[in-house]
Amino acid sequence: MTSGNSNITRRGLGLGAAALATAGLARGAGAQAAFPSRNFRVVIPTGQGGGADRLARSFDDGWTKLLNGRQFEYEFFAGASGQVGYELFVQRREADAYNLLFGNMGPEMIMYALQRPRFRFPEDLAYFCRIDIDDSAIFVRENSPMRRVEDVIAEAKRRPVNVAVSRIPHPASIGMLALGQAQGARFNLIPYGGGSPTMVAVMNGEAEVGALPVSGLTAQAGRLRVLSLFASENIVAELTNNAPTVNQVFGTRIPDLYSSRSWAIHTRAIERFPDRFRRLEETAQRVFEDQDFLNALERAGQPRQTVRFGNRELCTRYALDMIELANRFRQELSAQR
Amino acid sequence: MELDLGTLADLFARSFSLWWVIIPGIALGLAVGVLPGFSPQNTLIILLPVTLAMDIEAALAFMIALYCANHLSGGIPAILVNIPGSGGAAATTIDGYQMTKNGQAQQALVLSFVASVVGGLITSVAVLAILPWLAQLGLILRSVEMVVIILFGLTLIAVLAAKDMLKGLIGGAFGLMLGAIGTDQVYSTPRATFGFLELYDGLPLVPVLIGLFAVSECLVMLEEKFSPKAIPSKAQRPQWADTLDGLRMSLKYWWQIVWTGFLGLVIGVIPGAGAYIASFVAYQQSRLFSKTPEKYGTGFPPGVIAPESANNGVTSGTLVPTMAIGIPGGSTAAVMLIVLQYQGITVGPRLFQDNPNVAYGVFVMMTVAYILMIPLILPLARYASKVVTVPVHIIVPLILGLTVVGAFADREYIFDMALALVFGVIGYIAVKTNYHVTSILIGVLLGPIFERYLLRALRIGQGDIMVLFSSPIANVLWGLLVISVVYPLWRERRLARAAAP
Repeated sequence: MTSGNSNITRRGLGLGAAALATAGLARGAGAQAAFPSRNFRVVIPTGQGGGADRLARSFDDGWTKLLNGRQFEYEFFAGASGQVGYELFVQRREADAYNLLFGNMGPEMIMYALQRPRFRFPEDLAYFCRIDIDDSAIFVRENSPMRRVEDVIAEAKRRPVNVAVSRIPHPASIGMLALGQAQGARFNLIPYGGGSPTMVAVMNGEAEVGALPVSGLTAQAGRLRVLSLFASENIVAELTNNAPTVNQVFGTRIPDLYSSRSWAIHTRAIERFPDRFRRLEETAQRVFEDQDFLNALERAGQPRQTVRFGNRELCTRYALDMIELANRFRQELSAQR
Repeated sequence: MELDLGTLADLFARSFSLWWVIIPGIALGLAVGVLPGFSPQNTLIILLPVTLAMDIEAALAFMIALYCANHLSGGIPAILVNIPGSGGAAATTIDGYQMTKNGQAQQALVLSFVASVVGGLITSVAVLAILPWLAQLGLILRSVEMVVIILFGLTLIAVLAAKDMLKGLIGGAFGLMLGAIGTDQVYSTPRATFGFLELYDGLPLVPVLIGLFAVSECLVMLEEKFSPKAIPSKAQRPQWADTLDGLRMSLKYWWQIVWTGFLGLVIGVIPGAGAYIASFVAYQQSRLFSKTPEKYGTGFPPGVIAPESANNGVTSGTLVPTMAIGIPGGSTAAVMLIVLQYQGITVGPRLFQDNPNVAYGVFVMMTVAYILMIPLILPLARYASKVVTVPVHIIVPLILGLTVVGAFADREYIFDMALALVFGVIGYIAVKTNYHVTSILIGVLLGPIFERYLLRALRIGQGDIMVLFSSPIANVLWGLLVISVVYPLWRERRLARAAAP
């Protein structure tokens, strides 16, 4: 640029502003296309090798292709029914849409209601992509004398029946308590701290009955028998010997109780980077059509029928319903009397 | 499916042909196991993108080699510098480090390596022979039996306290109290966490281990000027003669290796029971059945053999429920399960019909990994023992640097580094005032597991304490527990009476 008249004219200013605005727009569009420009960090509030871990990895098989090939790096912060992972995510991970959480909305929103952690839902965190609906089921071991759910109730009316559950604050536990209340039956819930030990407890006869999400049980057909589900319909009927739903058998009106894994993001990241969030939302939905994802799910033993996309609105409604339900059973579910 | 000899021979041939992944797996496992804080499951998680892309057999061979070698090498720092590389090697410090102090570092390393390799080898071969029955074992032992098994480990506190009962029990009780930090086992309500999120999941093992053993040992080294001058000259020049001496000792106590290895196998089969339960119980039982229990804690070879053999017996045990019923026996097995499932292999009873090459192949690979370890580890014993000759002004910063990074690496909390330093001071005070840091550690390690199984058993019994005596197997174990507590007392009294004029 040569030296010359340096007076700033109105026209010059206008042209400059227009040029800047154009450059800014171009940069914005570039930034949009460039997102994501690095890998994602994902907090999983349960242990490595668990159901959430396997499902998240199956999902990212398809998602990474839609996100410029960026990878997902997982960190596991189990503890206090997920409280550790959630608090850590909200308080210590930057709200930049590169940090995500993959959690199980059902049990973890019950944890939220009962343990009152140091974050607010939905103010601090938003679920935006539900992956599955995994209905809670009542099961026994294959050679159990209790052949039908009615047998379980009949026995539990005579004496308290031991029920193995993953955690006390869990949709399946709420189901058992609600069923007991409705039928005048007594259940003694025993937490085993995970799906695998819960199944072992029923297999070895330590607990007579178990209550867990159904997808893990389908892989144990021949050792465990599903008796009934807390759902409007049994979507995995062919994998569970057409087990009836609890409401069908007893005419109760227990709400659907299911575990539901979902991706979550800081609410602040949605406000600060709406373009990034839109891209995440839109690409996540497209993964459900991806054959790699569906194949990975099959390999992980997850029944395809349980896979159901849910958007932010659906997820939020479900999470709030869970919080309300947990508050109803607060006394039975928590140590606070 | 029955395993015929032809299939077995084929599986062995295929596993040996995977030496090119097994040897790097062993090397990485050895390196990672030496460093507290770098667990095999974390290493496998980091390497998942690599293993998922590999052929399934090669991936499994690599993971298994890494896992087994990791269990073996945790004993190296335990012996040389009194710092267990993992919880499973904590019991090794009791006699292993004492041997180093007695100028027998190389022999202790050979004992540890031979016990680990032979313990792992015979148990993996045994699994091949009796897999269907072993799979049932995991279903027979329930919470009530686990309460008693863990009590075997906890009684080690009393054994360690033998020299000064009051201080020993105070140390153990202090450890148990620390073990109660975290969320409660039933309702997940935080307790004694002082509001620290980092403590919600209980006291993290790695920083506690690092603090109690590594940091405190460094402080003691600095104070006592633990220099080459203080080390017997024999330890300064590693010689093959010492390696042979270690081999001779191993042969002498071969029976210890065998039965403690099987003890580890049985405990490993129980889902959720860790290597440290096996190693503490093995040490306690080894001392109980010894004709010279008073030698334990003074650098006695069976005190190194028992925990190391049991620790490696666990490796094959944890894979039994994983393969046979599709339920991982531990966190490393859970990571292996991800790889298997990713490759479309459904584990569980049908695996033995659908894919016997994988079902039995896993244990054959383990056997081969242990066989390939033999030529690698004996030279390692010779050269690793040189660590004790490194001057204190070099070794102390090195240990502190590596272990404090290790404290961070496990969970990536700065808090854990501070916690390691706090436990370092606690450990230092304990050492200087003649409290046994291992007693504190046993409380921290076994306390939460004991509480979990006890509360579970009591809930099953619906509050009735007699549930603890409701199973025939548990009652037999209770009987053995009583004998293991009373017999040493009776024996000591009898010896004292005989010695009296």
